[in-house]
Amino acid sequence: MSKFRKDNSRSKVTISTASLPDIVFMMLFFFMVSATIRDERPVVKTKIPQAKELTKIDKKILIRELKVGVPVNKGVGEEFKIVFKDKFLTLDQLSQWAQGQRDEMPEYYRNQMIIVLKADEEVNMGVISDIQQELRKINVRKILYRTLKE
Amino acid sequence: MFNRKRPRKQQEEVNAGSMADIAFLLLIFFLVATTITNEKGLSMKLPPDPENQTKAPANERNVFNVKINSKNSLLVEGEVRSEIGNLQSEIERFIMNNGEDPNSSVSPAKAIVSLKTNRGTDYKMFIEILDEIKGAYFNIYGGRVGMTSEEYRSLKHDDPNQKDIYDRGKQGIPMNISIAEPDNL
Repeated sequence: MSKFRKDNSRSKVTISTASLPDIVFMMLFFFMVSATIRDERPVVKTKIPQAKELTKIDKKILIRELKVGVPVNKGVGEEFKIVFKDKFLTLDQLSQWAQGQRDEMPEYYRNQMIIVLKADEEVNMGVISDIQQELRKINVRKILYRTLKE
Repeated sequence: MFNRKRPRKQQEEVNAGSMADIAFLLLIFFLVATTITNEKGLSMKLPPDPENQTKAPANERNVFNVKINSKNSLLVEGEVRSEIGNLQSEIERFIMNNGEDPNSSVSPAKAIVSLKTNRGTDYKMFIEILDEIKGAYFNIYGGRVGMTSEEYRSLKHDDPNQKDIYDRGKQGIPMNISIAEPDNL
């Protein structure tokens, strides 16, 4: 008994860290899969409103996101602007833009295109309805108002 | 004797300790450089272009009118409101009236909730009201299949079983939300 005890006290206890890389890699892969690289700087300020009854879009390929907000760069102006990726769009360009986006899509997805409106909560409905009116003209009718979970 | 043998038995190992460092570095890079996109929001289907739209006259009793003016005050069925209150349950009652109340809808299929905004209305207010209307519909759908609104909304469309439940909840009650043409005032 005494011998056993001695033996035990001498050996160093180490925690194996061999599985640490596995855990970290798992997290790494999770982030790689679930994330898209942020490739653009925000051109307009968009603080999106909150809502409760959210629905999720499963097919990312259908989505084209328009941002509406006040430009970050004050030199551009202080009126609400429409932005796709990092380009400003005027209302007149909107229908042409939407048609171009629709033509880029695979044929069987074309009439399912969803416009995601990421609009600042201070935007007037006038701007929003102007956009909607333009989209209706060319029969792009699916809209998602981007909101945060309340 | 035993003590001597042990170190000899140990096999040589490649030190994997730095592996974690490399992985951490990559992990931190991805954490910083990415945003998780969550495409969530309130979905709507816009009406067709007014020019080639055929107007179906809706009976006044089948339309639940909500108007928001440029000062963000509400007009619900001709009645001025300062607060949203229990608009959601009111809309639910309106949709599921089934002809009981002569001033309310004839049937869920015919019920229309009309949301009219002014050019000066805040987008935030519009979203808030639209949220209430959608909530009313999702509550009804969920209630028909024994789910909460949240469970109903998270049903996946590509799973046939879940799609089936989804369709059952929705059957016969189309989500008739009309965002009426805005006033140009």
